[in-house]
Amino acid sequence: MDGFLQIRSATKMYRTPEGGSIRALDDVTLHIRSNELISLLGPSGCGKTTLLKCIAGFEDLDHGDITLTGQSLTRIPAHRRPFNTVFQNYALFPHLTVERNVAYGLDVAHVERKERTRRVGEALEQVGLAGFGARMPNQLSGGQQQRVAVARSLVLKPKVLLLDEPLSALDRKMRESMQIELKSLQHSVGITFIFVTHDQEEALSMSDRVAVLASGKVQQLASPKEIYDEPQNEFVANFVGTSNIFKGKVIAKEGRTLTLKTANGRELAVASDRFGVGDDACAVLRPEHLKLSGEARDRAIKGTVTQSVFVGSEMHLHVDVGLGRTAVVRHRHNKGSTEAAYGPGADVTLYYTPEAAHVIECKGA
Amino acid sequence: MFERIMSSKGWWRLFQAYGLVFLIFLYLPLALIFVYSFNANPINMAVWTEFTFDWYKTIFFGAGTAGSFDAAFTESPDRIFEVVRNSAIVALSASTISTVIGTATAIAIRRYDFVGKKVYQALLVLPMIVPDIVLGIALLIFFVGAGFELSLLTVIIGHTTFLSSYVFVVVSARLAGMDMSLERASADLGAGPLTTFRRVTLPQIMPGVVGGFLLAFIISLDDVVITYFIAGVGSQTLPLFILAMMRRGLRPQINALAILLLSFTFTVAAIGLYLRSRKS
Ligand SMILES: Nc1ncnc2c1ncn2[C@@H]1O[C@H](COP(=O)(O)OP(=O)(O)O)[C@@H](O)[C@H]1O
Ligand SMILES: [Mg+2]
Repeated sequence: MDGFLQIRSATKMYRTPEGGSIRALDDVTLHIRSNELISLLGPSGCGKTTLLKCIAGFEDLDHGDITLTGQSLTRIPAHRRPFNTVFQNYALFPHLTVERNVAYGLDVAHVERKERTRRVGEALEQVGLAGFGARMPNQLSGGQQQRVAVARSLVLKPKVLLLDEPLSALDRKMRESMQIELKSLQHSVGITFIFVTHDQEEALSMSDRVAVLASGKVQQLASPKEIYDEPQNEFVANFVGTSNIFKGKVIAKEGRTLTLKTANGRELAVASDRFGVGDDACAVLRPEHLKLSGEARDRAIKGTVTQSVFVGSEMHLHVDVGLGRTAVVRHRHNKGSTEAAYGPGADVTLYYTPEAAHVIECKGA
Repeated sequence: MFERIMSSKGWWRLFQAYGLVFLIFLYLPLALIFVYSFNANPINMAVWTEFTFDWYKTIFFGAGTAGSFDAAFTESPDRIFEVVRNSAIVALSASTISTVIGTATAIAIRRYDFVGKKVYQALLVLPMIVPDIVLGIALLIFFVGAGFELSLLTVIIGHTTFLSSYVFVVVSARLAGMDMSLERASADLGAGPLTTFRRVTLPQIMPGVVGGFLLAFIISLDDVVITYFIAGVGSQTLPLFILAMMRRGLRPQINALAILLLSFTFTVAAIGLYLRSRKS
């Protein structure tokens, strides 16, 4: 394991105004590698910003510690840590020009003028803002302010760049182009980016690895593909992408193939190495793994379409399969074909390959 | 009918007239002493005799230097200079000290959470609404009890106590509009607490600090009630001096002195407004 930035058993409590206390971070352990883009993904209030603040040194942990290449950061104040932050609202200094903003860290470190000018120019160039040096922050668009914030941090050549939902204030088009830019920037400067987001698509598309957080705990740390294909628990399965989750009990096992019996007596075939007869388990099926079929097949699920939503490239069909949940199916339609067959009320049969199903433990099944 | 009046030009005229009357009501007294300060009549200022600068001249050069004014109508320039100097010393020191105290307090209150913060904030604002006469008596009793001899120093200390409240309120208002993450960003970029204060916090709240200082300065400069209680024999300020002059009769030199004080105050206020418009 690469021992670059290690967070061990980090716990952080906040007092609530009512006099109680909440665990914003609950025993978080993460090993972050050098030179990777890692996302902290989770719903609002799950502790992403808190974790970032603890890494940056704006908050102290109640338990646990954070080390950088083996050295504890506990006693090192924020302004001496080799990390820089891009804040959620950018936090550009409104009384300074773009150039002075970017030069701020170098000024404070008493970097000699010639070198300062050179590095500021370089950093502005890097984020595509050469020629904007004389502007004031309020004369820039949101996307440009964002770049200034990135340049202001990168100019100091930090070991780690912390980004707190840096794209959330931008419109969709801008956000998508900034995602690509940030990713390639991370490549070219070759440092670790810790990227906080609540947008799962953003996390999946940009990251080398994703840490999914919920209520102060790490749910899963893995590559985007693994997170999507093999979610570790129900939370991850639901939060990342759309999932059809069917709960049941394993009633038979044949090689890797399990037969899962749901509460209302349906039997589903799924593939897994882990579970044995008698275990409770949940089958996770992504919409794209459920196929529609007109005719009856083995291991098929019968259902009735309740809703069909046209999203351009495909149809999203909501199918009542009598399992307590509606299943979502993606159906590519061909131009000119008769889609009326899959309108609300249509009887359909869904099938899937047992290998496509991912089986996880059920909580409270 | 009513609607016709409402929408007519006449209604608008009435509005304008009202505005004019109100302005006259506000400024007529000031205009009167302005006019009187140029009236040569030494006995009855309300009866115009002729235009003169002499009252202003007597302030700077004394009786007999300008016209044929009897010394009975004027105070000596030395005496005037002394009280103006006293006022300047008090106003400058008190407003400077209270700007430092008020600003520091405002920053601390904004940054830190502690038990009883709300109560503390309320107590800080209270001196602004405590009646001056109560504050004056309280300060006097305190100074006498603590063994202070009444002097310019006691005036400065007394003014500082309530002026700090004013500065606190003005700077707090400015701080409330400041993004707290700016200070965090500064620390993040490697600046220690002092550098952050000098390079980020202070420039951000400067209009508030300057505004608070000027407000404190003007309030200190024309305070009568509180100063009356805590000024010693040798520490008469300009407003107290003018009050004492009035006791001996309404003399035209007072008008000139009042107009000079007014012009100075307006200038200070104008500088304040200018700085404020330039900063934002
Ligand atoms: N200074 C604070 N005082 C009290 N509670 C806080 C404070 N900061 C954050 N919290 C709480 O901690 C939890 C995690 O917050 P945060 O890390 O900001 O979440 P996220 O960034 O994932 O949206 C939330 O429940 C939030 O209300
Ligand atoms: Mg957050």
